[in-house]
Amino acid sequence: MSQKIKLKIITPERLILEEEVDQVTFPTTEGELTILPEHIPLIASLKSGDVVALVNGEPVPFAVVGGFVEVKKEDGATSVAVLADFAEHVSTLSDEVIARSKARAEELRTQAENKGVVDFEHFEAELERSLTRVRIADKWRTKKYRK
Amino acid sequence: MAGSKEIKRRIKSVKSTKKITKAMELVAASKMKRAVASTLSSRLYAEYSWDILTSLSKNLEEISHPLFEKREGGNTLLIFITSNRGLCGAYNSQVTKKALQIVKQQNNKNNLDLITVGRKGDVAMRRIGRNIIATFTELPANISLSDVAPISKLVLAEYTAGKYDKVLVAYTDFISAMTQKPNIKQVLPISKTDLKELIAELGEAHSTPSEVAQGKESRIDYLIEGNRDKLLGSLAEKLTRMQIYQMLLESNASEQSSRMVAMKNASEAAGEMIDDLTLVFNKARQAGITQEISEISAGMASVS
Repeated sequence: MSQKIKLKIITPERLILEEEVDQVTFPTTEGELTILPEHIPLIASLKSGDVVALVNGEPVPFAVVGGFVEVKKEDGATSVAVLADFAEHVSTLSDEVIARSKARAEELRTQAENKGVVDFEHFEAELERSLTRVRIADKWRTKKYRK
Repeated sequence: MAGSKEIKRRIKSVKSTKKITKAMELVAASKMKRAVASTLSSRLYAEYSWDILTSLSKNLEEISHPLFEKREGGNTLLIFITSNRGLCGAYNSQVTKKALQIVKQQNNKNNLDLITVGRKGDVAMRRIGRNIIATFTELPANISLSDVAPISKLVLAEYTAGKYDKVLVAYTDFISAMTQKPNIKQVLPISKTDLKELIAELGEAHSTPSEVAQGKESRIDYLIEGNRDKLLGSLAEKLTRMQIYQMLLESNASEQSSRMVAMKNASEAAGEMIDDLTLVFNKARQAGITQEISEISAGMASVS
């Protein structure tokens, strides 16, 4: 495994991660996908879930919501760009954040019920974001990963 | 001495005004820094999404998607971005002037509706009795993409429903802290050349990825997972949202910087005013003393 993948995770707000990794796995709309070095160029759209990069045998997980992934060859190396609407390293999802996220999701749900369709899209996005955070944090709670 | 007391009071009031304007200047400066930083950091995303879009359709002319197709007819939707609060120099009036040009042009047979972002623009448009289909005034100072979602969804829904043939945005371009330019841009249908320009502009500060984008766009054969048209559609939607987001950020940065400049001018003017008033005050004080002395010596002279 001498070859590495250049991984970039980008959100509209900022660049979340730029690192050389051994492999990267993400949830696409069609299923789960793992990219190894020398992968052919590929474009896929992402589902909300966790993007897991493998660096020196250690997983580095991120919670992402929506977006695309692009795999291409750049200067002989494979580069992967993840364009997510929202992305966060799992370690930043502390219990406190999770609790707040859960509360927020609940609150949004009740609000959405009361409010009807007016701001539905906004609620939907927020809700999905909150739920994804909770789901991914729960998933990684007992597992080991690199911070 | 009655005059000097009044002057003293005025000096005091100008001084407290200066304190307020100075504070507002500092607040605007720090807000501007943040706004500019987020404008810059969103560029990378825009570049990459453009990269993917160009990769998806080997040549741009091949793209066939409702959001890319030009429509006949002149029903227009104008998104009008202003600030919620005043005291920011000519910022609001300039962009309003620009928007009114468009509004007047389209007066005759074509329909023009508005979405206003920011209270000031809303008030201005309501005053002249335009049809406003939605108003957004609750945007936070630190705009994130999810705050833009309601706006872009509304716009896309109205556009795909065929109610409008064109969606324009009136916003303020942030050029530097000293210069901002009101501008009108078309967001829908996505004009390919416009988009190219937008990305090129964005890429200036950040040349490497855009060079890559330009150089390689047509050469790589991508494996596409899922439906190509679907991917293209969601990418187009994202790009639209991204554009609106970018314009909001630009406007926000412009607002803060023009407020900063306005407040700076106000502080300077207040300083000058204080100097002038102090001079007048000292003169009045001196005159009072001179008068008293001459009165005393006159009294002395009459006694002796």
